[in-house]
Amino acid sequence: MLEEIIAALNDITGADAGEITPETELFEEGLLDSFGLVELLVQLEQLGKTLDVAELTREEISTPAKIAALLA
Amino acid sequence: MFILEALEHYAKTDRIALRYHDEQVSFAALNRMADAFAAYLRCTLPDDCRPVMIYGHKQSVIPACMFGALKAGHGYIPVDTTYPADRAAQILYDAQPSVLVDLCASGLSAEHTLSAETLTQILSQPAAPAPRSGWLRAEQTAYLLFTSGSTGTPKGVQITAGNLAAFHAGVKPWFARLPEGGAFLNEISYSFDVSVCALYEALSRGMTLWTADRQTLESPQALFALLREARPDAWVSTPSLAEFCVHSEQFCAELLPQVRQFLFCGEVLTKKLAAELMRRFPGVPVINAYGPTETTVLVTGTEITQAMLDAPAPLPIGRPFENVCAVIADEQGRALPDGEAGELLVLGEAVSPGYLGRPELNEALFFRTEDGTRGYHTGDLCRMEDGMLYYLGRLDGQIKLNGFRVELEDVENNLVRLPNIARAAVLPVWQDGRVTALTAFVLLEKPDGEGALHRARRIKSALANTLPSYMIPRKILAVDSFPLNTNGKIDKKQLAAQLASGAAGGTHEPIRRS
Repeated sequence: MLEEIIAALNDITGADAGEITPETELFEEGLLDSFGLVELLVQLEQLGKTLDVAELTREEISTPAKIAALLA
Repeated sequence: MFILEALEHYAKTDRIALRYHDEQVSFAALNRMADAFAAYLRCTLPDDCRPVMIYGHKQSVIPACMFGALKAGHGYIPVDTTYPADRAAQILYDAQPSVLVDLCASGLSAEHTLSAETLTQILSQPAAPAPRSGWLRAEQTAYLLFTSGSTGTPKGVQITAGNLAAFHAGVKPWFARLPEGGAFLNEISYSFDVSVCALYEALSRGMTLWTADRQTLESPQALFALLREARPDAWVSTPSLAEFCVHSEQFCAELLPQVRQFLFCGEVLTKKLAAELMRRFPGVPVINAYGPTETTVLVTGTEITQAMLDAPAPLPIGRPFENVCAVIADEQGRALPDGEAGELLVLGEAVSPGYLGRPELNEALFFRTEDGTRGYHTGDLCRMEDGMLYYLGRLDGQIKLNGFRVELEDVENNLVRLPNIARAAVLPVWQDGRVTALTAFVLLEKPDGEGALHRARRIKSALANTLPSYMIPRKILAVDSFPLNTNGKIDKKQLAAQLASGAAGGTHEPIRRS
């Protein structure tokens, strides 16, 4: 799952492979905002994974590793 | 002015005008603070009616400053902190306000600069009600909103008290369902014209504005907690915000039991979103509305029906309000017959007198008919059928992103001002018929040896000094060369085609240019 999340993030942000790591701080580093988050949710839905945004704080989804843990 | 009369009226009740985090401001307090601010302006600037610039983000004192300015016969310029200090400084230079209310300690200054602390002192002074004879008159500018300009500097749209009165009259049927009192979501930046729906339409009905600031909007949990507590009676937003919310199954009639209608404007409303909302909120009308900043706020609207969802055409943007005239015209400005595509011209009392200090632009975009009616060339390509308008796209490089107007050239001009960028092209990313993000392509003067993400982050943080956050491209990609057209300009159509063929997410539609 982690690889798929990072691949989606690379696609959304235009990062080269290897630049986004499991521990990259997505919001703090300015990689994602609310609208980028929507893009990520759409891509995750296409993989059959859903996250309920109403339940989430930014802290809980601040890195690829944390998102992967939520979806595991 | 109707809003000032309404403030005085509801000040006699115990209604709440504004909620902001744990703070609440009653109509009585709002009216009293506005009177205090008006008294300060009259005393400090007895013979001056230049506008007051307010630089901040959603603070609960902002409406008091706005209405206080109107009570003293001044206009105001709301500048949200999404505008960086450099861009705010340009606005300050263009608009020459006599007073700057600086709520974010920006370091900018005008003749009279008021910090948050000084303002609090002014607003707490006892003051007599501002005399109605000194209130802003119909022909005077009530506010100036600065929008993206293709040259790379923002342009100020002047909206008069008369324009606001025309909007208030025109939009009335669309807010007729709202109860007197009740709750209204106040999530839209005050730099964006749609915030007028909350500040003027909701407050003049005695409703409470539940303020969602950026911090709240960026945390899904906080936003849903606010919705649960506010129980809004009406929903006015860009489609983007609702798109975000429907990602949670909790966004349904149980969360918003009071909501009587959804009204969307600012960007394309997709059938997918409208249908989803109609499914989750049975019986609650979904309204699509339209209006450029230059025509105050909204000038057309329609309730979305099942037949519209089933029809092959995209959703219509509505019929003109009763006091608005819409004409589809060819390049010479001649009216076209029903069904033909052309530029939408908007005529009526809601049309702005023009941009501040831009006579050539005003000459090109604003006009008067023989009977003196003001009109505006929207630059929007539309089609009209039996009085119903359909939006087809832009005639220039302007796009709407999350409801904000962005001139792509504005972003490009700011990119090439940065070191080591020789040329730049910015393209919108399309998804389901609307723009979801911007992608910038840059040609470097010399290789920088950086990874794509590091470079993008560096460029984005440099752009953040001159551009509002919503104008910063999500992706910044370095290219070895640009496809050029015969004039030596970057061929964006070809660039978009290259991107579409290689990109995984999001298709890129070619940009229409007149």
